[in-house]
Amino acid sequence: MTKRPNQAPAPPMTRPSFLRGIVGIWYRHALALTRVWKVATTWFVIEPACVLLAMGLGVGRLIGTLPTHGEYASFVTPGMIVGMAMYHAIFECSWGAFQRIQSHSVETLLTTPIGIVQLAAGEILWGATRSALSTIAVGGLALGLGWLDPSAFPGVLLVSMLVGVEFGAIGLCFAATAQTTSTLSLIFTIVATPLFFFSGSFFPMEILPRALQIAAWIAPLSPGVHLARGFATHDLHTTHLAAAVYLVLLGAASFPVAVWLLRRKLLR
Amino acid sequence: MAEIRVEKLVKRFGTVRAIDGLSFEVASGETFGLLGPNGAGKTTTMRVLSGLSPVDSGEVSIAGIDALRDPRAVRCVVGVVTQQDGLDDDLNVRQNLEVFGFLAGLSLRVARRHTREVLDFFGLASRSEDAIDELSGGMKRRLAIARALMIQPRAVILDEPTTGLDPHSRNRVWEELAQLKARGVTILMSTHYMDEAATLCDRIAILDRGRILALDPPLELIEKHTRGDVQELRVTTASHSSVRAELERAGIRWREVGAVFRLNREADPAAVRSIAGTRSEVRRANLEDVFLNLTGRELRDE
Ligand SMILES: Nc1ncnc2c1ncn2[C@@H]1O[C@H](COP(=O)(O)OP(=O)(O)O)[C@@H](O)[C@H]1O
Ligand SMILES: [Mg+2]
Repeated sequence: MTKRPNQAPAPPMTRPSFLRGIVGIWYRHALALTRVWKVATTWFVIEPACVLLAMGLGVGRLIGTLPTHGEYASFVTPGMIVGMAMYHAIFECSWGAFQRIQSHSVETLLTTPIGIVQLAAGEILWGATRSALSTIAVGGLALGLGWLDPSAFPGVLLVSMLVGVEFGAIGLCFAATAQTTSTLSLIFTIVATPLFFFSGSFFPMEILPRALQIAAWIAPLSPGVHLARGFATHDLHTTHLAAAVYLVLLGAASFPVAVWLLRRKLLR
Repeated sequence: MAEIRVEKLVKRFGTVRAIDGLSFEVASGETFGLLGPNGAGKTTTMRVLSGLSPVDSGEVSIAGIDALRDPRAVRCVVGVVTQQDGLDDDLNVRQNLEVFGFLAGLSLRVARRHTREVLDFFGLASRSEDAIDELSGGMKRRLAIARALMIQPRAVILDEPTTGLDPHSRNRVWEELAQLKARGVTILMSTHYMDEAATLCDRIAILDRGRILALDPPLELIEKHTRGDVQELRVTTASHSSVRAELERAGIRWREVGAVFRLNREADPAAVRSIAGTRSEVRRANLEDVFLNLTGRELRDE
């Protein structure tokens, strides 16, 4: 600490910018990740690689080519990538944030000049960053295997990040409302897992019964899968535009809810 | 000039009035203590002042800032140490401070410099690369205080800075707070240790059920609210029930605290000494006695 004369405190610090809070939260997460990068590599690479290889090489070998969607491995790849992106964002923003709320380290962040909006935005930005890292890892593998076209990669990456924002915000809602880890785990059993399997990642939605099809199209992961597949196959229509709008809307609508719930939880 | 001014603050949780019409002022450079038992409203008060809790009514001004309107501006100039250490287990000691400084608006370069300075001040420089769970409880607490100093605050708000610490760590914290005070930093702290309040604070507000019962310098509190001495009866060989019977017969009122009977102010010394199997002691009254006399309850009662 710099010495200053008694009774003459330094002039008030200038207030940090709005962005500073968001970037600061993001920086905290980036530091935390680099401290455990060896373990983190397994989350990003080994687990998704297993799923991708099992589906592409295993199931893909059995199925070969789908009547309307081409080679199965290429069909399943964008769905897997987006599904993994969802898992990473949910994990970070529900489980991770919940733990840090319980341990009071989130309260500490709020003793800096940041507000709840910046806290939420920083958390979600980090969730989306993890989604992007996952996509770089899984997508990289798929590129190597020839299941994803390099020119499709930027589009798929962008979709992953939007999915990360959306599920980051949804994850925060759960983190802010769960009372215990067992209620928190509902986000995996009632949200993530059903979405992962019924959002058109593994099979075309057309083969579902009519009623289920509608539900599957509305499901919040579906627009991401549809859009990523559009990029992967270089076959984009108005349905993809609709999916993009829906995806952005889901993220934009979840954010204020997450902020409201976090405020209720943390500023009592 | 008042660094902190609290006026007619009211805060309810449902039907509980956690803060019930609180008013006080802390002068610049003063160390001010909120002394009260668990549930008195100390944490709630400090959270309100830090902008972490909305109020039902009242006014708070800190460093000339309307703290209820602009809590974030307050946190630019006031360091806050919450009741829980709230350290980030995923970061090491140095990173905990650097991230905090960065969030508070320091550049990374300045944050690193301040980190070195506060770690030096707290004698934690050799632990800077350690993980949080390698630290002792006392070190964690002191790191939490160090964190609040990253912004070189003009005032700090500390919620029970030494609760749960061993005597050695407590003493270190006391010394460090005394040094802060010597630098002119205004300190608002809460505690339920009367010795801590008496040692550190220029003035103490005795808080119970969200209200201030008395507010004065420690010695004046004792002068005003006790008779200066307290007569106690320590049980040696007698049974507690026989002592109770004897006291009752002598018409003396008392209060039992463990093995000690604290006697009512007017107890006749001769009558007290005649009770067999006990030893009568007279000691200086302290802040616990002030609290007892004001509320009829012990400071340690829940
Ligand atoms: N989040 C909360 N919800 C409901 N009641 C609360 C909450 N926090 C504190 N209280 C109540 O407010 C009162 C004051 O609590 P607190 O400020 O924590 O006291 P202290 O810090 O002096 O122990 C207590 O009656 C407590 O039960
Ligand atoms: Mg408390």
